[in-house]
Amino acid sequence: MSWDYIFTVLPPMLKGAQTTVLMFLAVIVLSVPLGFGVTLLMRSRVKPLAWLAHTYVYVMRGTPLLLQVLFFCFGLPLLPVIGEYLVFDRFISAAIAFVLNYAAYFAEIFRGGLLSIDKGQQEAAQVLGLSKWQTMTKVIVPQMIRVVLPTTANEAITLVKDTALLYAVAVPELLYFAQTAVNRDMRLIPFFLAAIVYLLMTLVLTIAFKALEKRYSFK
Amino acid sequence: MTHIIEVKQLKKSFDALEVLKEVSFDIQAGEVVAVIGPSGSGKSTMLRSLIHLEEVTGGTIRILGQGLVEEGRYASGKDIRTLTDRMGMVFQHFNLFPHLTVRANLELAPKTLKKDTAAGIRKRSMELLDKVGLLDKADVYPANLSGGQKQRVAIARALMMQPDILLFDEPTSALDPELTGEVLRVIKQLAQENMTMIIVTHEMGFAREVADRVFFMDKGEIAEAGTPEQLFGNPQRERTRMFLQREKLEE
Repeated sequence: MSWDYIFTVLPPMLKGAQTTVLMFLAVIVLSVPLGFGVTLLMRSRVKPLAWLAHTYVYVMRGTPLLLQVLFFCFGLPLLPVIGEYLVFDRFISAAIAFVLNYAAYFAEIFRGGLLSIDKGQQEAAQVLGLSKWQTMTKVIVPQMIRVVLPTTANEAITLVKDTALLYAVAVPELLYFAQTAVNRDMRLIPFFLAAIVYLLMTLVLTIAFKALEKRYSFK
Repeated sequence: MTHIIEVKQLKKSFDALEVLKEVSFDIQAGEVVAVIGPSGSGKSTMLRSLIHLEEVTGGTIRILGQGLVEEGRYASGKDIRTLTDRMGMVFQHFNLFPHLTVRANLELAPKTLKKDTAAGIRKRSMELLDKVGLLDKADVYPANLSGGQKQRVAIARALMMQPDILLFDEPTSALDPELTGEVLRVIKQLAQENMTMIIVTHEMGFAREVADRVFFMDKGEIAEAGTPEQLFGNPQRERTRMFLQREKLEE
């Protein structure tokens, strides 16, 4: 193993890793609130809305993420009439697919989190005079966060690794540069380097979520 | 004499099941009423209807002379809110907010609803924690309290909103027997301060000691009502006698 070689392949890979991180952040920041919105829709008393939200979750969870990414990158422009307006940068198209997919998973996680909260909490808030909105934001959601943190951490780690699907739509990210280098140089080192960078990212996430869990332990 | 609560022919049914049939009573300001009776007799449902945790199917509830529900028709959402704000409730399972410290449990509602200045709310929460003997637990989370301590916090939390009426739904039923005393002492103290209270309870000794009147509920109606001396000493109806005998055997 030569350090010289590592220092030649690492810079482009780290640049690719920036794309990975950017995708990760964009998807987390957008899919978590969207997912919570879908959770609320699934619980809506307006039946068609609830039905729509359930169908959305079913479709997004029931088909491969890769299919969804390919669809948003290459399928949308093929739609009749509106297709020509749906040609985006491929990073953006892929990001939309990721956000919609992860929002569906988060919606289910949050729904489970809400179900786990005792009905007495809502009743206690009601008799103290809190409105429904105040009850949701000050009583229910903070408790839901504690419940969903471990599963959300799991999803976040999966998301880091799922960004490698960008490879399939030729958005240059970490794995893309690793694979290119392996092909070009016939050496394994780029794969190991990529693995180490992924591990470092998930390590940061693991530590961050452990800290969050501690903060939300309420002990 | 004005009645702080008037209930007339209250009815509630789930499909064919009549949980409450024709419950009527009046309560005067400062009165302490204990509600006893077998489980499934409608005690909790009656209590929860008063604070709008249950919707009744028919009848009238007036709080401080104003109709919460008049002959089955509910007041507007805003009016319901105004009336239920005059009442506090203490639950069997405490229902403390586990994500908040004891003090934050007390202060959440008054702060959110801007009942007072932050300093005023703080002062009141400390006074009330002192009153229930838990000043040293102000910064502790509910997970670290015993059942009796939790229930005392719940009572203090209800008092923060300065209610005219306090409702207790089996406040000691979830507690270990050795922990009921500390909760009952706090309720007794409130009785001495002339707080109007309705207490659904299985503690016959306590009902006898603290209540001005006792309601015996059975099968969705108030089967017998009277002073503790009358109801416990000389029950008029057969089913009251049977119930009291069963309770005595259990004790």
